[in-house]
Amino acid sequence: MLLRCRIPLANFAIDIDASFDAKVTSIFGPSGSGKSTILDAIAGLRNVAAGEIELNGRTLFSSARRVDLSPRARGIGYVPQEGALFPHLSVKKNILFGAERDEHSRSAKKITMDHVTDVLGLRTLLDRPVTKLSGGEAQRVALARAILSGPQLLLLDEPLAALDVGLKERILPYLGRVRDEFSIPMIYVTHNLTEVLTLADWVLMIRQGRLVAQGVPREVLRSMHARLQIFEEQIANVFTASFVESDPEAGRTKVRLESGQELFIPYLPQPPDRFLQIRISADDILVGTQRPEGISAANVVPGRVRTIELIDGEALITVSAGDEFYVRLTRSAVSRLGLAERTPVFLIMKTRSFRLL
Amino acid sequence: MLILSLETWQITFFSIAVGLASTLLILPFGIAVAWLFARKEWPLKSMVETVVLLPLVMPPVSTGLILLKIFGRRSPVGQWLYDRGVEIVFNWKGVLIAMAVMSFPLLVRSVRTSFAEVNPRLEQIAATLGASGLRIFFVITVPLAFRGIVAGGLLAFSRALGEFGATILLAGNIPGRTQTLSLAIFNFVQLGKDREAYTLLAITVIIAFVFVWSSEWLLRSGKKY
Amino acid sequence: MKPRIAGKPGAALLAIMLVASLAGRARADEILIAAAASLTDVLKEIGSIYRVGSKRKVNFTFGSSSMLARQIDEGAPADIFFSADLPQMDNLDKKGRLEPGTRKNLLSNTLVIVVPADSKLTLSSPKDLLKPEVKRIALAQPSSVPVGSYSSKYLADEGLWNQVKPKVIPVQDVRATLAAVESGNVEAGFVYKTDAAVSKKVTAVYEVPIHKGPQITYPIAIVKESKKKKAARHFLSFVVGPAAKERFKKHGFILLE
Repeated sequence: MLLRCRIPLANFAIDIDASFDAKVTSIFGPSGSGKSTILDAIAGLRNVAAGEIELNGRTLFSSARRVDLSPRARGIGYVPQEGALFPHLSVKKNILFGAERDEHSRSAKKITMDHVTDVLGLRTLLDRPVTKLSGGEAQRVALARAILSGPQLLLLDEPLAALDVGLKERILPYLGRVRDEFSIPMIYVTHNLTEVLTLADWVLMIRQGRLVAQGVPREVLRSMHARLQIFEEQIANVFTASFVESDPEAGRTKVRLESGQELFIPYLPQPPDRFLQIRISADDILVGTQRPEGISAANVVPGRVRTIELIDGEALITVSAGDEFYVRLTRSAVSRLGLAERTPVFLIMKTRSFRLL
Repeated sequence: MLILSLETWQITFFSIAVGLASTLLILPFGIAVAWLFARKEWPLKSMVETVVLLPLVMPPVSTGLILLKIFGRRSPVGQWLYDRGVEIVFNWKGVLIAMAVMSFPLLVRSVRTSFAEVNPRLEQIAATLGASGLRIFFVITVPLAFRGIVAGGLLAFSRALGEFGATILLAGNIPGRTQTLSLAIFNFVQLGKDREAYTLLAITVIIAFVFVWSSEWLLRSGKKY
Repeated sequence: MKPRIAGKPGAALLAIMLVASLAGRARADEILIAAAASLTDVLKEIGSIYRVGSKRKVNFTFGSSSMLARQIDEGAPADIFFSADLPQMDNLDKKGRLEPGTRKNLLSNTLVIVVPADSKLTLSSPKDLLKPEVKRIALAQPSSVPVGSYSSKYLADEGLWNQVKPKVIPVQDVRATLAAVESGNVEAGFVYKTDAAVSKKVTAVYEVPIHKGPQITYPIAIVKESKKKKAARHFLSFVVGPAAKERFKKHGFILLE
């Protein structure tokens, strides 16, 4: 898919130039970065100032060639954040709404109602009014409706954002099944890392309407640039870690970073796939020039200062300790400790300062 | 209550019949115009809106005068109709037109509001699902605005029933032919026949009450989408 | 599904149109008389007598003379115009809207001073209106309504207008004058004698003598564009005939011919 478009907004402009071909492409970025607007533009629901949008060699929009297909002709299924189910129709009528799509904008694959309702577990809900659905059920109905319209591309706008944590975990597998069962390419908008890592095989990282990085999710998310983009205010350290062991009595879990460094994080039961994303804020890491003793923090990691960046009264330092850690200190702390590049330091991190993503 | 005379029944029946006919006549146009107002942008839109709403603020008599000018035999329109044997002035068709013109803005206002309350996102999503504009309109927009449309229709009917100024100018005040409840009440008041006027007034109030009340009930009850 | 929904209101509309058109269809020889509202009662009576005698039905449209003149001027299909006001008839005459030779000044009316039926005031002449007990006098708008201009002109002729003027409450029309007097909100008012006769809650205490009062004339004429002139003439001859005259007198009108 080719996506090159410029859309002026009230306080910034979206300016994207990307080309990708993946089963699930994730558009990832903080709220208000223009992600939903991009989906609207792809679906033809919003004016694009200039650019080109192509899908499977078909031009959907081109300002140069004056092509602007109607939403109806684009053959793109859209699952908006709020679901947007038709409130006056039953679940069944909602799902079948798009089944009458014209043949020419329809994907060649034949998808049946039974198949979709089975995959999404909607069989028992068909005769219900949509106003009587839970949030998770409504999302699945919206998804079924979009799939059954036989689209050549599915757009999903934060389908899990409105759901609570428990529900998210139950919906996520459905999305995986949709990806595997119907082989419809998907563009998946989210600001949740776990979702990107679970579902996507390509990620476009967006900030203030601009593409700041793209690639395979695990690689993109490892770059410092990406991490800085993710958390504007709180600069955070995000690591992919593997599960080592868990001790409910001690209230902690041991994980191992890719560098082999082991860390203690708050207790959690063994995750199904052994890999997890952990996060610690750059503000929650203490720096010592000597190994401290008689403290509660269980994680003390030796390393060396790599860079020091002074911004006003703050200092953002990077410390190499197998993996790279960001630590934010005051300027006075830097001068008191006499920190400079290559200074050996110890990083001190409380078990409970780690969060699971 | 006193037993109503044949004449009273005739006036009542005629008023309701023409009022309903007027409402059904303007309903499709009202819905179309309201939709254009609620969903589309075009040049001079606000001017057109003002013109459509004008009968709401103009004295009905002046609207009647304009209608008389348009449909009178001296105007090209009136002459054209006359040549084809269509009489508007001093005719029940004049009553119909006066009612239609005077109640149209109320219908448009009410329906427009209910269209505006339909989430445009639903229409957009329907379009991405391959629905034509017509299908979206009839399967999504109209059903979701249905209560507002019915309420608007009832309001328009009530307004038609109460219409006086434009009707008397365009259709005259001919007992048995163009006299509506409102015109008859006016006539009886003019003649100092209060008892007859009150009887007709009571009938009007009952009819108007039933319709306005059901319109309010429709707006308040039922599901809010 | 769609045609079924569309069918019902469509059929209903058709049925209503049919019924309404049956209710309001004009027969070929039924004439329409545009008449001043103050003639409603007497003309309805005359219309039914005429119907019994001639087996022909006539229709009336009642309204203010100026409105009716306006409608006829715009080509409204009235066959006869019966006005309560000379200038309105003159106006149509000048524009050539009347059938030549058919115009007659048929009726006249007189002005009366009315007081509430329970009033304790003794008014025996227009001069009594100057009494301090008479605080307010209702009069139809002298600038636009005939009865108002007749009344003010009469008071001026009597040399009373300047003194009475501060007491005058201008109201919309004769009916509003009567209502004001009936309610007791004003002590006196000027109306036509025929109007005063309708209300039981007012008393006519003084009738302006016909030679002193203004010329109040009800002219009648056939409209030039009438398609039923024969029937119109037939009715006109009945209206000036003895049976109709008797009805007019009974309602308090003065016959001019």
